[in-house]
Amino acid sequence: MSLMEKIRRLLGRNIVRNNTPDIDSDIAINVEHLTMEFKVSNDKIDTLKEYFIRTIKRDKGESKKVKVLDDISFTVKRGEKLGILGFNGAGKSTLLRIIAGIYEPSDGQITINGKIAPLLELSAGFDKNYSGKDNIYLNGALLSMSKEFLDEKYDEIVEYSELGDYINYPVKNYSKGMKAKLGFSIATLIDPDILIIDEILSVGDIKFRKKSGEKLNEMMADGVTVLLVSHSINQVRRICDRCIWIDSGELIMEGEVNEVCDAYVEDANYAKIKKERKMKRKLRKKYG
Amino acid sequence: MFDTFSEKKFLLTELVKKNLTAKYKDSVLGILWSFFNPLLTMIVFTVVFSMLFGKNVVNYPVYYLAGRVIFDFFNHGTKGAMNSIRKNARLLKKIYVPRPMFPVSAICYEFVNFLISFVILFGVMFVTGAQFHPTLIYAVIPIILIIILIFGVGLILAVCNTYFTDIGYLYNVFTLVLLYASALFYPIEIVPTKFQIIFSLNPVYCAMTCLRQCVYGVAPSFSTMLYIAAFALTTLGIGILLFNIYGKKLTLEL
Repeated sequence: MSLMEKIRRLLGRNIVRNNTPDIDSDIAINVEHLTMEFKVSNDKIDTLKEYFIRTIKRDKGESKKVKVLDDISFTVKRGEKLGILGFNGAGKSTLLRIIAGIYEPSDGQITINGKIAPLLELSAGFDKNYSGKDNIYLNGALLSMSKEFLDEKYDEIVEYSELGDYINYPVKNYSKGMKAKLGFSIATLIDPDILIIDEILSVGDIKFRKKSGEKLNEMMADGVTVLLVSHSINQVRRICDRCIWIDSGELIMEGEVNEVCDAYVEDANYAKIKKERKMKRKLRKKYG
Repeated sequence: MFDTFSEKKFLLTELVKKNLTAKYKDSVLGILWSFFNPLLTMIVFTVVFSMLFGKNVVNYPVYYLAGRVIFDFFNHGTKGAMNSIRKNARLLKKIYVPRPMFPVSAICYEFVNFLISFVILFGVMFVTGAQFHPTLIYAVIPIILIIILIFGVGLILAVCNTYFTDIGYLYNVFTLVLLYASALFYPIEIVPTKFQIIFSLNPVYCAMTCLRQCVYGVAPSFSTMLYIAAFALTTLGIGILLFNIYGKKLTLEL
């Protein structure tokens, strides 16, 4: 690799974002050859001393990386609802985080056409010493909302979150459900083109759950593109119209929702049967 | 996300506000400590060192404070930027926020503190009966230069400290050395002439000298300011380049 090329690679961005959607294009998200590698944490060189010693010894362990996503490509059309299936640790959340911009992929290209609302960690931006009111502004700023917008929507947020007078209390005194309610109320304010959801369809008590479900349905009905990670197969079947299935970082299957869901469920059941058989064999061996 | 300037500005003000409230959250006097802290140390240093250097320095409290405001700004600004990425690790791993926002907000926060301590400087000048020379207007130049320098050093340190934690400890020692190498609380005249050349290579000391000259009614030397400018802009260039290359990978190191 020539030096110039190396520099260009170092400076280059793997993610292209168009916040104002290109109306002519019917593609919302295009992922090409996406690869993500994480360094194994116990191999991470954290101190200078270690770095120098290992540079001299030439054993920085470049190979000790875990591929969380391996050469994944898929396209999501505008208005399409895509479900992402996979067992724990398959790389689903990492994929969503990359699309949301939290992680920079090791390799590959992503094109995003439209404004994203990531509903990943709803209360991550809270400062626990702030009152609910101050947190609305802080959290809104972190989600790239403007002050005028928040001023205008403030009453709506307070009303929607059902917090009442609690809005003036510090968030550290909130219950988990109250925090989630406030987070949900802020995060769903924007009018996104693409909605990224990671298992958060149940927020708060039964009353709020119904309300938040309705709000999400309302958002989805508007022709918004949705990326949904969920372990509830029924939910995926109900919401999505297409599905991808990821296992150990590789894309195994892509297609119509019921088709992929059926295959996924079958595989899960099969894995269970296989495990049971193995157990039985073991027991038989042990006790004759 | 964050493509308009006003959105970034709003986030910046919110982050600066968060820093301000977080620092003084359990104290009674709150933000007033930004006032009292430099004032009280100034009094201590004046009492102690006036006896030693009082004869060599005209108006020691002003001499000390004029150096102190610059040094504190540099010291806290660079340290704030350095720790900003690690301190906000939880946030960075969960929401997308443009990475430079954190070091920039930390430096802006220190700039607010710097302005407060500048008010104290003027207050002390007034109380001690120092003359307000028209050269004070020139003070803007070394201040702008030191801001550029802080941004440069801060960005470099923010990246380095995220990759290697011990840069932080190392830098603490370094700033201590810098404190003594900046003639903060003693007059430069007590340093042997052959060592003074080393002092004149220290950009923080140079900025201090320029500011002191402005305060004492001397136009700051052009060549010194040119030197600081060259140093600061080079550092800023390196800082921006480094942050552009490694900034996007920072979340993986946290």
